Amino acid sequence: MRIRNHPIIDFKKKREISFYFNKKKMYGEEGDTIASALHANDVKVLSHSLRYKRPRGFFCGIGKCSSCFMTVNDIPNVRTCITPVKENIKVMEQDKGGELPNKQFINKDKKRIDVEIVIIGSGPAGLMAALAAAEQGASVLLIDENHMVGGQLVKQTHRFFGSREEKAGMRGIELAVELMKKVVEYKESIQLMLATTVIGCYKGKKRHNLIAVQKLADGDQLFEINGHKIIVACGALENMLAFPGNDLPGVYGAGGVQTLMNVYGVKPGKCVLMVGAGNVGLIVSYQLLQAGIMVDRVVEAMPKIGGYHVHAAKLRRCGVPIYTSHSIKEAYGKEKVEGAVVVKVDDYCQPISGTEENISCDTICLAVGLTPSIRLIEQIGVRTEFILEAGGHVAVHDSSMQTNVRGIYIAGDSSGIEEASTAMIEGQLAGVSAATSLGYDKNASEVKRKCRSALKVFRSGPFGEIPRVGKEKIACCYRNGGLTY
Amino acid sequence: MNEIDHKADVVIIGGGVNGCSLAYQLSKRGMKVVLCEKGYLCSGATGRCGAGIRQQWSTRENSELAIKSIQIFERLEQELGQDIGLRQGGYLIVVHDKSDMKQAKSNVNMQKALGLDVSILTPDEIVDIVPILDVNGMHAVGATFCPTDGHVDPFKTTHAYAQAAIKHGAQLYKFTKVVGIKKKNKRIDSVLTDRGKISTDFVINAAGAWSKQIAEMVGVKLPNKPFRKEILVTERVKPLFDAMVISFKDGIYFSQQEEGQVLGGIPIPNEKPGYLTAPTFDFLHHMAKTLARYAPPLKHVNVIRQWTGYYDVTPDALPIIGEVEGIKGFIQCNGFSGHGFMLSPMVTKILTAYIADGRTPHILKRLSLSRFKGKKIVREVSVVG
Repeated sequence: MRIRNHPIIDFKKKREISFYFNKKKMYGEEGDTIASALHANDVKVLSHSLRYKRPRGFFCGIGKCSSCFMTVNDIPNVRTCITPVKENIKVMEQDKGGELPNKQFINKDKKRIDVEIVIIGSGPAGLMAALAAAEQGASVLLIDENHMVGGQLVKQTHRFFGSREEKAGMRGIELAVELMKKVVEYKESIQLMLATTVIGCYKGKKRHNLIAVQKLADGDQLFEINGHKIIVACGALENMLAFPGNDLPGVYGAGGVQTLMNVYGVKPGKCVLMVGAGNVGLIVSYQLLQAGIMVDRVVEAMPKIGGYHVHAAKLRRCGVPIYTSHSIKEAYGKEKVEGAVVVKVDDYCQPISGTEENISCDTICLAVGLTPSIRLIEQIGVRTEFILEAGGHVAVHDSSMQTNVRGIYIAGDSSGIEEASTAMIEGQLAGVSAATSLGYDKNASEVKRKCRSALKVFRSGPFGEIPRVGKEKIACCYRNGGLTY
Repeated sequence: MNEIDHKADVVIIGGGVNGCSLAYQLSKRGMKVVLCEKGYLCSGATGRCGAGIRQQWSTRENSELAIKSIQIFERLEQELGQDIGLRQGGYLIVVHDKSDMKQAKSNVNMQKALGLDVSILTPDEIVDIVPILDVNGMHAVGATFCPTDGHVDPFKTTHAYAQAAIKHGAQLYKFTKVVGIKKKNKRIDSVLTDRGKISTDFVINAAGAWSKQIAEMVGVKLPNKPFRKEILVTERVKPLFDAMVISFKDGIYFSQQEEGQVLGGIPIPNEKPGYLTAPTFDFLHHMAKTLARYAPPLKHVNVIRQWTGYYDVTPDALPIIGEVEGIKGFIQCNGFSGHGFMLSPMVTKILTAYIADGRTPHILKRLSLSRFKGKKIVREVSVVG
């Protein structure tokens, strides 16, 4: 199930790592997470639901859902999709909640870090925020719960659109490397904490408090982090779609599939049904083909393809049909996906009976949108509003990306679903704004002006309409204290 | 949004468990009921509570209400035709010293006289019931235990009541804010909402922590104060214990949910009243420390969430229920001081009997607003959280 030949990424064989799954010896490769290594060994069922014991498999691949919870070296509820595989670890499927952990924390006492700017999330927005703030002269702590930086950039093998200044023409995977190099150049002012999850975010008078847990080789370490300014750039969660069988192993988020094949070089399956013809659905379908996986078809409930024409055309040239006004009715299979029923839908997205078609496939990919991740900012008391065009509940913010809580900034998908390009500009804007509010100023107003005008350009035109309306509503909410529909 | 009904027999303010239970019972009696909730159902204290139901109290009023409430909870699943998530694993109340024990003995005697199955445990017996407890760590000299106390799911219960109420013709208006109440000749005349006016004879104030503001709309002053209360939940682990463990001295309560999470709360020292919503690190720290002292095996378990809700606290920690003197039709159902969910079945039953049949049981007089006038109050001391 490993990808060996790929037109863009070099997936040559790496050092083997042996581990145990339910007492059986298995092999992964260096760079694998536990879940990707299991997947490469064709283990698709990772857990069972608590109440009805339904099998659950790999879904999001980025630590946002709970279907990959397993017991690792006697520690229960480990998110195996973001935990690197290590020599001789014992991975067990857990019955119900799992045993009590006993040696998870290596130190009794928490460690304290005081810093000017804390950035949560090292995706495109977080990385740019860190660089922009450091360029201004501020000291920055950049935190990410994954074991590598880059967020979702690390799986973007396609070239970005837009102007050259905004890195158009580059692939996400290249961008992540380039930005990481710059972060290293700024190592005097940017401190990086990986494998660290911020679990609490509390408002203070002068400084805000964060509580974080870092996963180290021999256990966990608790941190109390005090920051004058906090930039939240923790991205988004993939949306689920309601249909019978949607929890079967083999039903993935499109992002989860992208992570599995483009980051870890593991094939999700042999034959895929893609649900959703927005840019994500179209791009991931093409990437599946590049990895040597068959895509049966793309179904889209809307009467029109949502993504860019070029992406759709590339797919069609490869012989993948795109069915508009069609959706998935159910997935079926014992223990894992064996097939799906697709159906034509009317103008109200209601299935038209008699139009059902049976498809044989082992993988169903859901590319049905994203929801901003707002849990931390909600906890600290930032005002959120439901804005459909921004992807759901989002934090209201001003034109400097500052929320209604002083010192708390937001950027990227967690401030409204958009593209990696805009996330980077928003990150830069938030980084500069946070730094200038601390008194730093290296041509800051010019940088901010450039960011704002670049955002304007990106959001103009027909494809920028939805995020533009979303951002206008957010601005309106920030000024007026609410929306009346 | 649709046009609202402009006439009703009863308008209930508040879509928590008490409001929805009243909507069900009154509509079942044939009354035309309208319920107004400013958010969604369970958006206030009901949906944020610890979900415990207990009968062990220091005052006779609370004990009586609680015992009868649990009898109703035991039948509720059948009555409403829906699962309410009832689990009776008991409440274990830790006794820390001699004076605690004196109070515990007098409580148990009073509770036994009311027919409750409750007993005093030795430290060894505590560990038989909840093996993960550390008797020395929690400084326990004993405990009281009632096996029929337990848990009920507040969401399932409230929604079961709401659906039953709708079936009987009640109108439940969510995201509908009450902005005023009009009276005429010392009687309730109508309720003004942000969606229009509703003429009615009865208004029930079941608005939880916002009851004080509702009462002010007709010039009634309630002594209630809102207190922020915090609660946390851990990751799921295998089933470890069935009972809810509480201590009046430390204020802690915790239990394990059906799916394996441990859920509990504790007051943070010197908390002042007010509409504060933000969760605090002080709570997380204090709770984690105390929980690890009580149940050391839990000390490596991850907390996955913490949140806040309000207690609507009265000077004696007893609820205010019944009609307000001088305003015919203005009914209070608030001031539960953190116990509104567990007392709701009996309180709403009494109020239904009063509104539908005009019956006034003795307890209604003892829990009326006028009890605070000049008299010395007897405070409920069996309070946690």
